[in-house]
Order: sequence, then structure tokens, then C-alpha cells
Amino acid sequence: MTMDADIPVALEFRDIRHSFAAPPAKGRPGRVVPVIADISLSVGAGRFTAVVGPSGCGKSTLLQFAAGLLRPSGGTVSQFGAPITGVNDRIGFVPQQAMLFPWYTLRQNVELPLLLRDVPAAERRARCDLLLRQVGLAGFEDHFPHQLSGGMQKRASIIRTLIYEPDIVLMDEPFGALDAQTRLLMHADLLRLWERRRSTILFVTHDLVEAITLADNVVLLSRRPTVVKADFQVPLPRPRDVFEPFKMPGFTAAYEEVWRIFRTEVVDDAA
Amino acid sequence: MTPPEVGSTSSPITPPEAVPVDRVPPRGRDWRGTIGRVVVPFLPALVFLAFWEWASGRLIRELYVSRPSAIAARLVELGASAELWHNLAVTGEELVLGYGIGVLLGAATGYALGRSPGLARVFEPYVMAFYSVPKIALAPLFIIWFGIGIGSKVALAGLMVFFLIFFNVFMGVRAIDRQLIDLARIMGAGQTQLTRHVYLPASTPFLIMGMRMALPYSVIGVIVGEFTASTEGLGLFIHEASASYDPAGVFAGIAILLGFVLAANFAAGRLEARLLRWQPTRDRGAVSL
Repeated sequence: MTMDADIPVALEFRDIRHSFAAPPAKGRPGRVVPVIADISLSVGAGRFTAVVGPSGCGKSTLLQFAAGLLRPSGGTVSQFGAPITGVNDRIGFVPQQAMLFPWYTLRQNVELPLLLRDVPAAERRARCDLLLRQVGLAGFEDHFPHQLSGGMQKRASIIRTLIYEPDIVLMDEPFGALDAQTRLLMHADLLRLWERRRSTILFVTHDLVEAITLADNVVLLSRRPTVVKADFQVPLPRPRDVFEPFKMPGFTAAYEEVWRIFRTEVVDDAA
Repeated sequence: MTPPEVGSTSSPITPPEAVPVDRVPPRGRDWRGTIGRVVVPFLPALVFLAFWEWASGRLIRELYVSRPSAIAARLVELGASAELWHNLAVTGEELVLGYGIGVLLGAATGYALGRSPGLARVFEPYVMAFYSVPKIALAPLFIIWFGIGIGSKVALAGLMVFFLIFFNVFMGVRAIDRQLIDLARIMGAGQTQLTRHVYLPASTPFLIMGMRMALPYSVIGVIVGEFTASTEGLGLFIHEASASYDPAGVFAGIAILLGFVLAANFAAGRLEARLLRWQPTRDRGAVSL
């Protein structure tokens, strides 16, 4: 597979630099810590792009930029050509924790974005019902978040983001906190939902297997101060087998290639 | 043949979240449990009253402590007199006004300062400083400022309530998870919608906690005000009974206040259970009596 030049760019990070101010500590003055040295990255429309990097490399920070919650120290982020200046309500954001609103029922949570966008009640209800059925949450509409398991909360968090059909969905290690089995089920659910309506997904994770199993391409980031190490095209056909990815022909080769690039960032070979 | 295990619902990987997690405690039905819940809390009070009744006149002179039967008789007698009802109405009005004003102002101020870091930076030290002033000591001044009528009592009770509500709501608004606010904004919420869907519901538990804490303080404020200077009210009644060596009258007045606080607290507990049914594990009823 080659990089398709004719795919429109949904999200573009250009010459991103970022640093944060470390507060003064005992016997040490405050200083500026560079996090991102230089990241330029184009996310193709309708593609599932995974970003993998060692912890502390600023991969979640990239999503904060795209969501308009944080401004990079340098460089620009643009969406379909337009620079992102304020809080970006044209994207969807799935955070690490499910982050449902605890005072609302499952239905109220899922419908909230539509309510905020003045969608009529009947349509809200219909769209919510459809999504709840698709992820097996029908029957739990009136439960409050604390009455749902972690996996159910996560599903709710995802369909709450998909219900308003944002062009771009940002996912920040969404399955990191789940147990291994629930995770696999979530992978299957996510791919099923995504294949129905191919929005652009930018998926941050630290898990190579997850990235290769799910994504069209995997962007590898270096250690801090961060640069892009590689943008790897995953040569696997869809639909993917999320339960036994290692059985897919070509998976092992892809994994080994990515790991070869990535290991220098994770394992300290100099030691 | 039938397979050894009819695993029609269990896939190789059983979804661990397929079990509805409903933490509804068993209710009703069990009449012994019901009796235990209703009767047991009253036992200490009954034991105490019985001991009081027995000890009065035996261990301690009745002139000092009266006795429950005498207090009950006095309550019945007072119930028939117009004097008590008038005093009760006056004190009730002071309580409702003082508590209501204190809650409204406290919630509004706490909310405004909680939401605006700029305002909070300027005003928090002032509120903190005023908080540390012993409000009771201001009672005589309040009489001068607001008169001998209900104004001074409303002001005193309102002030005590204000601070409790203010601090609870202020902390509550500040404690809201930043991520929830960011998410709501990404979903398209403007400032008004943020208020309605995030800030208000998130701070409600704190408001209610403050309201429950403030209940007894509003009573203290009103009674202290009436003790200091007044022409009517339950506090004055207690004060006069005390000054004329009438312990039965004092305790009768206190019993009425006690009944009022318990009833109000019970009502607050019901309100809380209704408004906060979304909260996870809470000991509902444990302190709501």
C-alpha cells in the first residue's frame, strides 16, 4: 500500500512544537520543558489512524490541540484546511475514562450532544435507540452510570460521541483501563460501528497490537522531545479479526516491522 | 443429541458486563427488618426518658431538671394556649426567612465565586475573614442595626446559614472535573447549557449537604437573637421560663425546637434522596431521621 495522494486531509498538524513550564522546585528554578520538538502529520479523511508513542511523548497532547482545548507553543492544527482556534465542537472526543455525566441516565447521556445541538426529541430518541441496540445496551436506558459496568460505560461513551456524527473522532487511549477480554469486545464493536460510517478516527494508544489490529496507518512517535519516527501503512484487509489478530496473514510481519522501529524508543539499548 | 452444555448465551468470551448491576437493597416484605429499622432508633431515647423520669426527685431535685411527664403535661397545656402558637409562628417566620435568605445568597455567592477564579481570588480572603468572626458575638449589634423585631433574628440566622452554604457550594463548583466541562463544550454546550447540564447538577450534592448542616445553625441564630432581645418568639418563651425557675417550660420549649429540627431534617433527607438518586453508594436514611 502506498500513501494515497488523492485522499483529502481531514486533520493536519504542521510543524507542531510544544513545551510546558515546570514550576520551580526545591533548589531549582522554574524551567521550560520541551515536549514536542517537531511534529507534522496529515490525517486522511475517512481513515483510521493510530498514534503510538512512549509514555510522556505528548501523544494525548496532540488530541488536546485538535480538540482546541490547548494551543501548541508553535505550529498550526487545521481541520479540512481551516485552522482550529477555539474549542472544536465539530469533532468527537472519547476520553481515557468513560466520563459519562453521573447525574444523567444512560439515555440522557447518549442524547445530550443532540440536545445541545437542538435536535428534536423524537429524532434524539430514535438515534439513541438505534445506537444502544447496536452496542447491546438496549434495556439499560434508565440506569445511571454508576449502575453500569466499566465496559458498558465505555460503550456509552463511544456512542455518545458517534451519535452526532462528527467528521473526526479523537480517541485518547479509550480502552486502556479495561480488562483484556472487554477490550477485545470493544475493538470488535468499534470497528463494526466505524465500518458503517467511515468517519476519520485519530486513535492514541501505547499498545502496538491494538494499533495494528484497528488502524489503516500507525504513526510512531519518538521519545520526548518528540518527532514522528514513521507513518506505517498497515497492509491488512478488512474486516479484521480482532480476537486473534496474530492469525491474520501479514500481521506478524507488520508487527515485527513496527516493533523494529519502535523498540529503540521504548527499550534503552544503550544501557 | 443435546450438547453437554447449552451455552446459547455464552460466547467463548463471556462479556463481563452482561450482568446488570443494580444495587437495590431488599425492601419491605421482611416485617422483622422493618420493625427493627423503625423501633430500634427510638430505644436509646426511651431508655433515657425512662431514666430521667425515675431519677427526677430521687437522684436529682425535680426543681433542677423537671421530669418528662411534667414536660409532656406542659406541652399539652401549651398546645391549648394561644401564646405558644403565636410564639411558634413568630419563630417559624424568622427561621424560614433567615434560612431561605441565607441559602439563596450563600448559593449564589458560592456559585459565582466558584465559577470565576478572578472573583474568587479577590473575595475569598474576605469571606474567609468574616467566616472566622463569631457571629453570636454580633447579636447585640444586630439588635441595634436591625431592631428588636424579627429583622435582627432573620439577619443573624441568615448570616450563619450563608457561610455554610457558601463554602459548600464554592467547594462543590471548584471540585467539578475539568474534563466533564471540556467534553460538554466539545459536544456543543454554550455557557448557559454548561450551567444547566454540568455546573448545577454537579454542585447539587454540595448544596444539599450545606443545607442540612445549616438547619441547626439557623435555629441557633434565631434563638440566640431572641434571647438577646425580643418581645415575642419561642426563644423568649424559653428565656422567660428559665428566668422564672420553670424547668418544665424550658424543656417544653426545647422539645418543640427539637421536633422542628428533626422534622426539617427528615424533609431534607427526602429531598436529598429524590434529587441525588444518581449518586452511587450512599447511606440513605442513616442520618436522615
